[in-house]
Amino acid sequence: MSRTLRLAITAGEPAGIGPDLCIQIAQQGHPQQLIVIADPELLRERAKTLSLPLVLHAFDDSAPAQPTAAGELFVVPVELAAEAEPGVLDPRNASYVLKTLELAANGCLSGRFDAVVTAPVHKGVINQAGIAFSGHTEFLEDLTSSEKVVMMLATEGLRVALATTHLPLADVPKAITAPLLRQVLTVLIRDLKTYFNAPNPKVLVCGLNPHAGEGGYLGREEIDTITPVLDEMRKTGVDLIGPLPADTLFTEHNLIGADAVLAMYHDQGLPVLKYKGFGRAVNITLGMPIIRTSVDHGTALDLAGTGRADSGSLHTAIDYASSMVQSKEHGNANS
Amino acid sequence: MVNDKPTVALTLGDPAGIGSELIAKLLSHRQVLEQANVVLVGDEWLWQRGQTIAGVQVELQPIVSLAEARAQAGGRPLFLAVDSVHPEEVEVGTARASGGASVLKVLDLCLAAVRDRQIDAICFAPLNKHAMKQAGMPFEDELHYFADYLNVDGFFCEFNTLGGLWTSRISSHVPLKDVPLYLEKGRIKQASQLIYRSLQAAGVAEPRVAVAALNPHGGDGGVCGREEIDIIAPAVEELNAEGVPVHGPFPADTIFLKARAGEYDAIVTMYHDQGQIAIKLLGFERGVTVQGGLPVPITTPAHGTAYDIAGQNRANVEATLQAFHIACRMGAAYRAEANC
Repeated sequence: MSRTLRLAITAGEPAGIGPDLCIQIAQQGHPQQLIVIADPELLRERAKTLSLPLVLHAFDDSAPAQPTAAGELFVVPVELAAEAEPGVLDPRNASYVLKTLELAANGCLSGRFDAVVTAPVHKGVINQAGIAFSGHTEFLEDLTSSEKVVMMLATEGLRVALATTHLPLADVPKAITAPLLRQVLTVLIRDLKTYFNAPNPKVLVCGLNPHAGEGGYLGREEIDTITPVLDEMRKTGVDLIGPLPADTLFTEHNLIGADAVLAMYHDQGLPVLKYKGFGRAVNITLGMPIIRTSVDHGTALDLAGTGRADSGSLHTAIDYASSMVQSKEHGNANS
Repeated sequence: MVNDKPTVALTLGDPAGIGSELIAKLLSHRQVLEQANVVLVGDEWLWQRGQTIAGVQVELQPIVSLAEARAQAGGRPLFLAVDSVHPEEVEVGTARASGGASVLKVLDLCLAAVRDRQIDAICFAPLNKHAMKQAGMPFEDELHYFADYLNVDGFFCEFNTLGGLWTSRISSHVPLKDVPLYLEKGRIKQASQLIYRSLQAAGVAEPRVAVAALNPHGGDGGVCGREEIDIIAPAVEELNAEGVPVHGPFPADTIFLKARAGEYDAIVTMYHDQGQIAIKLLGFERGVTVQGGLPVPITTPAHGTAYDIAGQNRANVEATLQAFHIACRMGAAYRAEANC
């Protein structure tokens, strides 16, 4: 029988739907010990607003891990700087948000938690508070001293990793270099093996240009950059298919047997995920010494405190984090 | 006897592809004749072959010129037989200059007739650009050929349609690095206006048109690219001020979800894969291409000649049916425009 996992959940921006989602998922029992890192008062208040029952237990490191009963959550308390009103951002709480992330990541590094699942933060308000912050991924990359992280989104039957993320489209072609692709593919292949039970990962690689450049007529990056890297990596036995035209690659039939797709840019991969995911997509950061999954949506300030937020993505993120931990341990046990 | 229906020409497309079997299947649908006076233009032997492959038999009424199509319209589809290619010049599944020449000859006949308002629309079966180029077509594709034939000097572009959703694009078959060069306010305005008016011509009284952003998250307020702020949003504002109610710019990862939910009739995309990835996910087998910006209605199924399955009766007629429906609606508007 597998052991009980300890998953840290950061509730994210207190004015957004993060706290709501934590309370909503607590309405059913979970085989994992779910440990929310947030201000307990905030959670209690929000539960009241949502008219949902919630019992909080202080998380105790020294006690054995235990499953989470319906209507309950474990909590590692971090105090808000200012009271949080649903839908109203307050820069004073920016450092609170970052503190929860730090506790979660450090807890993963020290073995206190098995993985961290993050609810959405609001980049704008953190920057407004005078703290340079470009996103969860970059923040955790620094905190864990990771060399190269890769953003991957997953939903039922499809995983898409991105070679470039939040770049203006005009800057994408020059960012697609051989060293970048080599690095991204190396992380992707390694983590598919470790966390996704894929001993010989098969990865479909998108071209950059329409029709994957059509033999050089519609762009040369496929010929000059992408193909040489794929050829080189195939020599090490990696199963890489491509570069393929992105518009046909994502059709059902072409995805059969693939462990992941590598997209060259944000909007090449994400719309497909959203389309196929139906609110059940999850964002995973690869290349770190810790396991981190996240919801695929934003803070949805207008829905905070209304009870209309959809917790599907948080459920999925918890499931993915758990299966990644299990795959890692199962793999280690066999090696 | 002259009736109120639009007169729509059908062609058999590239003779080595699935065109003839598709048209045979199309004409075996009873409701096709309720929507239009149909006139098939093509080689007798190819039409017979199409019927044999599809396993259908459709009685046609021969005519000798498209000029008499309207007057001859009756219970049966009309048939203008042409001699454009011989069976021994055609190898099923192979692009040949003879096939390209056949396509050009048939299209020329139809283009002249629709220009002269002898007929009201053309719905052509899939053709092969390379075969047409081998036969001497000096243009990159059929749309440029049509535009030249019809002396079009304004903005024109292809629309891809899927069910109720139409898309057009500001840039098409160009390297991704060149996409930003096409991002001009004028182009965006022309493309948006064109799809708006074309939807009206196809029977949508108040089209809901959305314009896509270029950058991730629509540029995130300028942090992730400025084209939305500098180019796309001003184009949308100007259009609104000029009485063309289009919306946007919207991030690419959510706009197609809204469209799928029925919130929009059309999306103006900024580059090829932005629209094509979504369109293919939404169900490419039903896709139709509308030749936008021409003075006459021309439609075709979005798929190609499917050489690999030609002659096997496996071709799906759905896109051809949709292309025909749109040709009928646009043909009716084209005809009405002549009468007022």
